Amino acid sequence: MSVDITVTIGGAAGQGIQTVGDLLAQVCQKAGLYVMAINDFESRIRGGHSFVQIRISDHEIFSPRYEIALLVALDRQTVLLHQNKIPDGGIILSGESFDDAQKPITAVEFDKLAEEAGGKITANTVAAGSCLALLGAPFEFLKDILAARFGAKDSSVLEKNIKAAELGYQAVAETEFKWAFAWEKGPEKGLLMNGTKAIALGALAADCRFASFYPMSPATGVIRNLTEMTEHIPFVVEQAEDEIAAVNMIIGASFAGVRSMTATSGGGFCLMTEGLGLAGIAEIPIVIVNAQRPGPATGLPTRTAQGDLLFVINASQDEFPRFVFAPRSVSEAFTDTIRAFELSEKYQVPAIILTDQFLNDSVFLTTEQFTAPSSVPRFIAADADLDDPENYHRFAVTESGVSPRALPCRGKAIVKSSGNEHLEDGHISEDKDNRTRMVNKRNAKLEAMTGEMNGPEEYFEDAEILLIGWGSSAGAIKEAVDLLRDKDIDAGCLTFSDMWPFPAEKALAAADNAKKCVTVELNSTAQFKRLLRQQTGIHCAGSILKYDGRPLFPQDIIEEIDRFL
Amino acid sequence: MLTKEDFFCDFENKWCPGCGNFQILDAMKEAFAEMDLSPEKLLIVSGIGQAGKTPHFFKCNFFHGLHGRALPVATGAKIANHDLTVVVSSGDGDCYGEGGNHFISAIRRNIDITLLVHNNKVYGLTKGQASPTSDIGFQTKMQPHGVIAESFHPLTAALAFGAGFVARGFSGNKAHLNQLIQKAIAHKGFSMVDIMQPCVSFNSVNTHAWYKKRAYDLADKNHDTTDIDAATALSRKWGDEIPIGILYQKESSSYTDRIDHLDQGPLIGFTYEKERVQQQIDNG
Repeated sequence: MSVDITVTIGGAAGQGIQTVGDLLAQVCQKAGLYVMAINDFESRIRGGHSFVQIRISDHEIFSPRYEIALLVALDRQTVLLHQNKIPDGGIILSGESFDDAQKPITAVEFDKLAEEAGGKITANTVAAGSCLALLGAPFEFLKDILAARFGAKDSSVLEKNIKAAELGYQAVAETEFKWAFAWEKGPEKGLLMNGTKAIALGALAADCRFASFYPMSPATGVIRNLTEMTEHIPFVVEQAEDEIAAVNMIIGASFAGVRSMTATSGGGFCLMTEGLGLAGIAEIPIVIVNAQRPGPATGLPTRTAQGDLLFVINASQDEFPRFVFAPRSVSEAFTDTIRAFELSEKYQVPAIILTDQFLNDSVFLTTEQFTAPSSVPRFIAADADLDDPENYHRFAVTESGVSPRALPCRGKAIVKSSGNEHLEDGHISEDKDNRTRMVNKRNAKLEAMTGEMNGPEEYFEDAEILLIGWGSSAGAIKEAVDLLRDKDIDAGCLTFSDMWPFPAEKALAAADNAKKCVTVELNSTAQFKRLLRQQTGIHCAGSILKYDGRPLFPQDIIEEIDRFL
Repeated sequence: MLTKEDFFCDFENKWCPGCGNFQILDAMKEAFAEMDLSPEKLLIVSGIGQAGKTPHFFKCNFFHGLHGRALPVATGAKIANHDLTVVVSSGDGDCYGEGGNHFISAIRRNIDITLLVHNNKVYGLTKGQASPTSDIGFQTKMQPHGVIAESFHPLTAALAFGAGFVARGFSGNKAHLNQLIQKAIAHKGFSMVDIMQPCVSFNSVNTHAWYKKRAYDLADKNHDTTDIDAATALSRKWGDEIPIGILYQKESSSYTDRIDHLDQGPLIGFTYEKERVQQQIDNG
C-alpha cells in the first residue's frame, strides 16, 4: 500500500506546535519514511494562528498537499480554518469539542493528561503520542526519539515525556483511523533538512568565515544556524547596525581576503543595493542570500513569494555582472551556496542566492548526500603569482575581464580599489576611453559566467503542455506534472535554478520541442515569463500565478490548467 | 627608516589650492613614516567627499568605497585580518551625516581602527551645502537664511557613546596633528581624531586664521585625559577658545580581542578543514 498522509497541527503562536511537528518528522525519519513539513505562522510571538503541516509518504516528496487526513487542533481557530480540507474518514484531534465543528472530533484531554504525566509543558508530547497511535506507529519509535531529544537533560524530564506520550498514545488506542498503516523500522532514507540549515552548511563547505547581518525574516535562520554550527570553528558572526553596514562589512572582509556572506529579505536587500553595486565596480566577491517574502515594504513578513527575481537581477544603478541562483530544493540550497562562493570569487563578482520563506523554513527529508568538498579552490594571487608585484594593478585589463586578485598587506603588491570609476591601478579616472574600457572589462566576464550556468531540469519536456518554473516551486510543479499525467493530460516541465547570467542557449535547447509553454510563479506579473521572453524569445501561452503569500501546491496548478487545454 | 617620500604617489591631486587637506595628508604621511608603518602594511579606507579622496594621494593599500560607509568596510577588513593597521579617512558629512549610525556602532564595538575626520563644517565636493557640524546660522546657497538645526558635536557624542580615544586636531598645526595621529594608531581599540580644517572655497567663516586664533593645546593646560567629565566639558567648548589634543583616553579590550579563536591569529589565517565541516553535516 502506498503511504501519503498529511497531518496538520494548529494552534496559537507559543503553544509549541513546532515540537509536535518535530517529533512526528523524526519518528517518520527513523521509520524509513519520507516527510516534508511547512511552517505557517504569523508575525507575532504569542497568539494568532500558526500551523505545521506534515506530509508523510513512502516516496520522496517536495511539496505540500491540501487534503488533511489528521488535524490536531490546539485551539478552536484551527478547527474552523482547516476542517474543510478534511475528507471523509479524516479525524480532528482536539483537547475540547467545539459547537461549530462540522467534522467529528476525537477528544483527547492533552492538558489534563500532561498534568497527569508531570507537567502541562508535556501537552505537546501527549499530542504527538496520540497522532502516532492513530497512524499505527509502534510506541517504541516515539520512545526512542524522546530519549534522543531529552536524554541529555535531567532524567525526570525524559520520564515525564515518555509518560505523556504513553497517555496520549493510549487515549486513542481504540480509535479506528482510515489512514493507519503498517510501520516498519528503517532504514533511514536521509537527512531532515530545511533551507536555512542547508545554506549555512554550504557556506561552511565553501570556507566562508564571516557573516554580517541585520535580523529579518525569513533570512535570520541562516545566520542562527551558522552561529550554532560555528561554536567551535573560527568564524565571526556580526550583527550589524543595519543592512547597509552588513553588506559593507562583508565587502571589507572579502577585500581583505576572507570569504564572507550576508542574509536578508527584500527590504534589507533594498538597503544593500548600493553596496551590491560597490562590489560590482570594485570587483569584490560577496555572497548575499535574499530570502523572499511578499512585499513591497514590510509586506507579509512570515510568508513566501517569488517576487524579487527581476529586482535582484537588476538591483543597483547602472550595469555590472552578477550571479543569481534560485535553489529548487534543500540539497540544491547546499550545492548552490558552495557554487555561489566559488564562482563569485572566480569571477570577482557578487553572487545572490534567491530563496524564500517556503524553502528556508520548510523541512524536507532529503536523500541527497551532503558532502563537504575535499578542498576549496581559492582564486587569489600571491606575490609569486605576479610578474611584477611592485607594480601591481588591481584592475589590469585581461581578455577574460578577470584581473589577478592580490590581497592587501599580504606581500609587496599594493592593492588600490575604488568604487569610483578607476584606472587599471585603482585610481579614480574620468577619462572617457578608460570608462568604456573598464565597462567592457567587467562585462567581458559574462560569456564565461554564462557558460557556468546550468540549464533547466527537464521532465517530460516534449509534452503538449510544458510548465516552466524556477526556484523552490519546482517540487510542486513536478508533482503537478505527475498528477496531470495520471489524468491523461500530456504535461511536462522545465525548472530553472541558475537564473543569471541567464542560460539562454540551454533553455532554448530544453524547450526545443515545446508546443505550449506556461510559467508557474509566485508573483503577480509573471516575472519569469518576461525574463524568458527577453532572453530567449520563447513565447509562453500564459502563466499560473499565485501571490497570496502561501507556498505553491500541486493543486494550484491542477485547478488552473483547464485554461490552457 | 621611512620618510614621508615613501608614501609619495604621483596621482594628480584634485583639492583646491590652500585646502586644509594638504596639511592633513602631510601629517598622516609623517606619522606613518615615524611609526615605521610601510605602505605594504597599511590600509586606508575612505568614503566619499574631498576627504574620501585622500588615499588616492598615497602610496599604500586603500579601499575607497561609498559615501558614509568607510567604517563598516574598515570593520570588515579588520575582522578578516586584525594584523592590519586600518586608518579611515572621512569627512564631517561622510562620517557624521551619511554614516552616523556606523559612527555610533564602530565606537560601541571598540574595533581597533583609527578614524580621522576632516571636519571643515561644510560640504565641499557637492559645492557648499551645510554639513552636520555647520554652526547654527551658517549661510549657504541651500540654507540662505542660515542653518536652523543645532550643530552636531562629534567629540561630545563620541564620549557619550563610550569611545576610548577622543582627540581634536587642527590642520594648521601639522606637527601636533602628526603626534595625535601616532597616538591614535598606537591606541588599542577605536580611536578618533576630529580635525578642524578650513574650506577655502565654501566656508568663509571658519577660516585658517579663525581657527589659529582660537586653538589652544590641552597638553599645556594640565588636562587629565582619564577624566571623562572634564573631557566632556572640554568637548562642548566652542567659540573664543577651542581645545586641541587628546580629550580622553582609556584602553579596553577591542572587538577582535573579544572573539573566540582570534587569539590564535587573524581570521584570514585559518584554512578549510573538510573533517570539521563534514562533522557539522553529520550532526544533522
